[in-house]
Order: sequence, then C-alpha cells, then structure tokens
Amino acid sequence: MATVTNWIDHLSAAEVQGAIYPGVGTEGVLVIIALIIWIGWHVLQDRAESEHLSQLARKKHGANDHKSNITEW
Amino acid sequence: MTDQLGALTTIFTEFYYWITVVLMFLIHVGFCMYEVGASRYKHHQHTLMKNTMLIPLVTVTWFLFGWWIYWAFPTGPGLAPSIMNESAALITDESAFSAKWYVPTSDLMAVNLGDHISGVFWAAFLLFSWTAASIVSGAVIERITTFAFGILAIAIGSVFWTIDAAWGWHFDGWMLKLLGYHDAYASGVIHAIAGGFALGILIVLGPRIGKFSSSGEPRNIGPRNPWLVTIGLFLIYTGFWGFYAACNIPIFDLGPEYGMEGVTYWTATNIYVTPTTLSGITMNFLMSLSGGLLAGYLISGKDPFWTYSSGLAGIICASAGNDLYHPIQSMIIAMIGVVVAYKMHYWVERKFKIDDAVGAVAVHGYAGVAGLIICGFVLNGYPSSGYSVGAMWVGTDYAPINPLGMFIGAIIMFVILGLIPGWIIAKILHGMGKLRIPRDVEIAGLDYNLLEASRNDEKAVSSSTR
Repeated sequence: MATVTNWIDHLSAAEVQGAIYPGVGTEGVLVIIALIIWIGWHVLQDRAESEHLSQLARKKHGANDHKSNITEW
Repeated sequence: MTDQLGALTTIFTEFYYWITVVLMFLIHVGFCMYEVGASRYKHHQHTLMKNTMLIPLVTVTWFLFGWWIYWAFPTGPGLAPSIMNESAALITDESAFSAKWYVPTSDLMAVNLGDHISGVFWAAFLLFSWTAASIVSGAVIERITTFAFGILAIAIGSVFWTIDAAWGWHFDGWMLKLLGYHDAYASGVIHAIAGGFALGILIVLGPRIGKFSSSGEPRNIGPRNPWLVTIGLFLIYTGFWGFYAACNIPIFDLGPEYGMEGVTYWTATNIYVTPTTLSGITMNFLMSLSGGLLAGYLISGKDPFWTYSSGLAGIICASAGNDLYHPIQSMIIAMIGVVVAYKMHYWVERKFKIDDAVGAVAVHGYAGVAGLIICGFVLNGYPSSGYSVGAMWVGTDYAPINPLGMFIGAIIMFVILGLIPGWIIAKILHGMGKLRIPRDVEIAGLDYNLLEASRNDEKAVSSSTR
C-alpha cells in the first residue's frame, strides 16, 4: 500500500512522482465508496427525519407547549 | 521545485489561499449564529443543524463534481470557443487548465508534490460554495425539511453557482468574451444567484404560519436574539475580508502572460487576470461597508437588524467593480444598493406574500443585481479580461465592460441560474411531499422532542440525591 518507502530514493529520482498517498491507482474504488457514503447518508437522514416529523405531528402540540419543556434559561 | 524564487512564489501563493480559507470559515460561523438568532426558540437546534450539515454535503459533492464543472464549462458549452484549445466544447482535453485534472480520481485531487496550488484553490472556491448555500439557508428557516435543504444546498453550492463561475468568473468564460461581464468580488456569481435561488424556493415553500394576517398584511417575526444576530453579522464581515483576498491572484507577472516581449510586471490581479492591488480593494471594502451602514441606519430608522444587514448589502453591491472603483464611488454605490435592497424587500413581501425570514433575497439578491448593473455604467469601456489584450482569443476581441452586457449578466445570475432552478427543484421536492415540514410540527416547534427529552433528563438529575 505504501507509495513511498524511502524519501531519499523518492526525491532523487530523475522524475519525482507527485502522488504520495497510499494506494495510488485505487482512486476509482475510493470515489465509489465516497458516492455510496454520500447517497446513503441522504437515504438514512430522510428516513429518520420522516419518522421524527410524523411522530411529532401526531401529538398535535400547541404553539406554546414547548415552553413547559424549558428547564433553564 | 528546484529554484528558490519559484519555490517562494509558489509557497507564498499556497499560504495566501490557505489563510483566505481560514478567514472565510468565519462566514459560516457568522451565518450559523445569525440564523439561530433570527429563529424562534422552539426551532433553534434544528435551524443550527440544517445550516451546519450543508458543510459536509457541499464539500463532498464539490470534491466529486463541483470543481470539475468549474473547469469544464467556461465555453458554455457551445457559446464561445476557448482561448486554450479553440473549441467550444467542454474543456476536458489535455490543456493545462482542463477539467480533466479535476475529476475526483485525478492524482492532483490529493497530496501531490508536483502541485501546491490546486488544493487550496479548490478549498477557496469551496468556501464560496458554502456561502452560496448558507445565503439560501437563512431565507427558508423554520419550515423547510433538512432533507430538502440538503438537496437544494448541493444544487446551489456544487452545481449552479459553479456553472455561473465557469461562465462569468473564469479567465476563459464566455460571458466575458461575449457580454463583457465583470464581477471581481462576486456581486453576481455568489450573491445575485443565491438570492435568486432563495426566491425561487420561497415562491414554492410559502410563508411561515402567522407571517401574514387574514387580510394579507405582513407581520414582523423579528430576531429572537439580536445579540447573536449582531455577532453573527460581524463575523460575516470578518470572513468577507478573506473572501475578497481569495478572489485575487496574489502575485503574477503580467508581461509574459499578456505576450508583451521583454516586459516584466509583477502585481496582484483579480480573477480575470487584470491588475489591481490588495491595498486598494481594502479601502473599497471599508468604504462600501461604511456606505451600507450609513444608508441602512437612516432608511431603517436605526433598526439594528437592517443596519447590520445593510453593511453587508453595501459591500455586496460595490463588489462587482471594487477592484477598480475609487473608494468614494464605492461608498455611494453601496448606499444605492442598500436603498434598492430595503425598498424591494418590503415591496415584494407585501405584493407577493414572500416570507424571506432574514432578508437574504434583498441583501444578496437585489443588492447584487443592482451592483452588476451599476458596474456596467461606472466601468464602461474597461477590458473585461487580461486576455482581451492582443490577439489571444481567435474568435474576436473580448467585449469590454458595458451596461447592456452587465444587465444581461445580472439576469443570467439572478433569474436563469438562480430563480428558475430554485423554483424547479423546490417544485419537484414539493411534489414528492418532501419540501415542507407538517403544519403541526411547525406549530409545535421542530425542537419539541429535543426540549422534552432535555426536560426529562433535567428532572431526573435534579431529583437525584446522590
């Protein structure tokens, strides 16, 4: 996985390789993982929010009911 | 890097943009404080989290495709050939400034010893993206779902503003060539588009419950914590310093760049590679802030919320030409922008029943549009780009800055890339039943469950004896 194992060899090469992160060449896989995390986050967030909103809506609290929940200013 | 002067120039530039990114972070801190201060207690935490979560959403999508759009779209595509490859197609060839290098799989989109600039430049633009999304966030508080806002934040932050930046804020942009568009510190490319986008959403989203009486008269739902609003706006001003610096190229030798044989001319430039000075734009920033505050104080009758917002509106209005204006011109333009923004806000609110909770459409949208139009008159005849010098573009000469071109540019920013996409995406989300929170939740407050849980926790703690 290591792209660089010896800095002296790396920097004294005729042409210094710029990319030094681990796993050079695996960027495509990393991007697919990022896409899954991004889209997956929306799916999970939407599911949680819909559940929260419908639960709260069912209770039909009044506009000032939240004030009884305020413990300290 | 093997020669010392080249290394110093590169690492100075790298550090310069890095500092601007840190300063611009304060814009987001300010927006979060400002929005929470403007919202009612029962919505506070939701309001905060909605704005905070745009940071990761816009950042990830900016990495995946937003940055690529900026480099790919300067030609339209199809509207004007590039000065780099003479093609009007998307710029994805092998040329130096091609989008090809900024796909997420590129090895330049990471730690790379051969490139010290792309990452900080990417980050500076990303912070502009957060700002665009955050402007929209304030307008829609207390009734939009976090899901819908996330989608809309990505749309404005990683798609539409970056298209406008490619068109009108790139040295190769077609709007410079054909319209003579000039927008040095983003009156249009950030503020007008974000204001227009917010207005498009607000038309579909509707007002908060209670905002308008049964006869249609608007009611004031003023900021609940004016101190938080005040500090928030001060922080936005502070971050704006970084924003201005980030819009410049700090050090550039224009002689060879313009093809002038034997001429060396080192200077700072704006994003269009025409010369300006960090010194001069600092004067203009402060004079336009002052003009905005002076006008806002008078027109709003000493209202702190509007006076502070007017300082911002003043800067925004003068920003298009603040690379070249005289400081007094800058101050006067700022004052005009504030009057336009303030009057338009209340007229639109009353006439069209638009509930813009923080005046974002006015401060960013109307002031930005006014700034672009004024710039067309005041800077009429100046070159719109460094590359209009000589025969660098094969099409014809770049159009100079002119009133008509700037007016069309303002329409493109506010309406075509702002209002229309905002309206369409909001309509789709509304059709899916995902745009607005249920009525009962809006009345109860988005934080009801959190507050109830806190009360129960507190009750358990306070009744315990050990």
